[in-house]
Amino acid sequence: MLDTAVAAETPEGIVLELRPAGLSARFYAFLIDWLIRLGVLWAVAMVAQMLGGLGTGLTLIVYFALEWFYPVVFELGRSGATPGKGVFELKVVMDDGLPVTPAASLTRNLLRVADFMPFCFGFAIVSMLLRRDCKRLGDIAAATLVVYQPRAAPKATLDMVVPVAPAQPLAPRDQAAVIALAARAPTLTVERLDELAALAAQICGDAGRSGPEVTRRVLGVAQWLLGRRP
Amino acid sequence: MTPLHFEELYQAEWQELEGLLGRMLGRGREAGAAQPVSGERVAALYRRACEHLAIARARSYPAYLLARLERLTADAHRQIYRRRDFGVSNLKQLLLADFPRAVRAHARYVWTSAALLIVPMLAAGLLVYARPELILSVVSADTAASFERMYSPAAESIGHARTADTDWTMFGFYIRNNIGIAFQCFAGGVIAGLGTLFFILYNGAFIGAIAGYVTQRGFAAVFFPFVVTHSAFELTAIVLSGAAGLRLGAAVLAPGESTRVQALVGAARESVVIVYGVAALLLVAAAIEAFWSSARWLPPPVKFGVAAACWIAVLAYLTLQGRRAG
Repeated sequence: MLDTAVAAETPEGIVLELRPAGLSARFYAFLIDWLIRLGVLWAVAMVAQMLGGLGTGLTLIVYFALEWFYPVVFELGRSGATPGKGVFELKVVMDDGLPVTPAASLTRNLLRVADFMPFCFGFAIVSMLLRRDCKRLGDIAAATLVVYQPRAAPKATLDMVVPVAPAQPLAPRDQAAVIALAARAPTLTVERLDELAALAAQICGDAGRSGPEVTRRVLGVAQWLLGRRP
Repeated sequence: MTPLHFEELYQAEWQELEGLLGRMLGRGREAGAAQPVSGERVAALYRRACEHLAIARARSYPAYLLARLERLTADAHRQIYRRRDFGVSNLKQLLLADFPRAVRAHARYVWTSAALLIVPMLAAGLLVYARPELILSVVSADTAASFERMYSPAAESIGHARTADTDWTMFGFYIRNNIGIAFQCFAGGVIAGLGTLFFILYNGAFIGAIAGYVTQRGFAAVFFPFVVTHSAFELTAIVLSGAAGLRLGAAVLAPGESTRVQALVGAARESVVIVYGVAALLLVAAAIEAFWSSARWLPPPVKFGVAAACWIAVLAYLTLQGRRAG
């Protein structure tokens, strides 16, 4: 299995699928957050300079707060993600898919120091590369996961296609594939679209055939699956 | 039953649940947010939606219907099972009961951590007092000289590395530096306790060496009145953060009947309470160190008197507070 998805089952027997984020996405998110922190600190230091000793003290306190609590504040907010993570559509959740708790958020961010050891986030990188769920030490101890935010289902915008009832019942995976094809249709060349649609021709009873008419009916099935009716 | 019929039949329930969830999240203020949301109703609708999702999956209903039900049940799940542990709202409960209780529950680790700090502190202190040149094996010559300036009887204000520094500057410095050290002591525990061990031993030796050196130079009359008050909070806090770190290390090394990861998660959940308290103690320590300890005009007897009161208060707080249930 190459898939890194983690399944979290609720007490009601519903399975939520979580997709842990890998090293590179998290590295770039960290880089963005780091630059934001640097910018804020620089701005505060500029203003505080005018206040003399009080300003220096203030700058040090802001530095301290940014260093340790910048991620905690954002993770406990509604989005569950720092601005850097937000850019890459990541968020921090508990292992069971619930929003991260204050204690867990603090734990994972305090343990960032340990992740930094022995140098340059050595332990974090090794841990994330070795684990299927890409956790660093802080995530392991806090029982948290950094996951991709669930994306809204692709919207097919082929309003001119007439909805067609599928010729056979379709499993959810097949439905998703047909809808994904419809969503990609505007970005494909006509020939490629016909080729791909031919693979799914049996869903509208055209097995073995291909051509613009078949494509139109396959896309019609996608419309049907999305709930549109003639 | 066709998917459309199914949707038509249960649509109203899903919409009601969506509305209630929206109100729980504080959305839709204008639409009757005044009435409180009935938890019973939300739970009942949530279970219904779960059933509908299971049915829809089993019958391979259209993807848009499954997606809607998945989103609805996931949203409801997040709201219903949201955990609220040790949040800011519980700050009072934390300081009045949870923190001292957590410290007492970790008594073994606290004593170990205290020994790990105090033994090297005394050893380094006595060694440097006997042979002052040894200070150079702990800090550089410049640092030693700056400590000498900080505690020399000629200094205007005690504990300032440079004469230009004000009390406010030092307040900021103590917060950033000291609370940072405490957090490191805790975090280092996850590496089988080695990080914690290093930070505690190193800080003990460092503090002891400086004290020994300054005493040997004949500045004891300045140094000890300076450190004695805030150390009640500062040294205690370092010991406690070390204890929390040792707890993490112990969980990794000797997980007992659970897996290593489970043991670590449990240890972190319990010991992070100590770290909350440590941060509070160090905030108090920073304020005292910057504004009270550094004051030249306060006579040493007053400082020793207040220091005794502080030590007794801290130790009594940790041993007695929150013993009664409730």
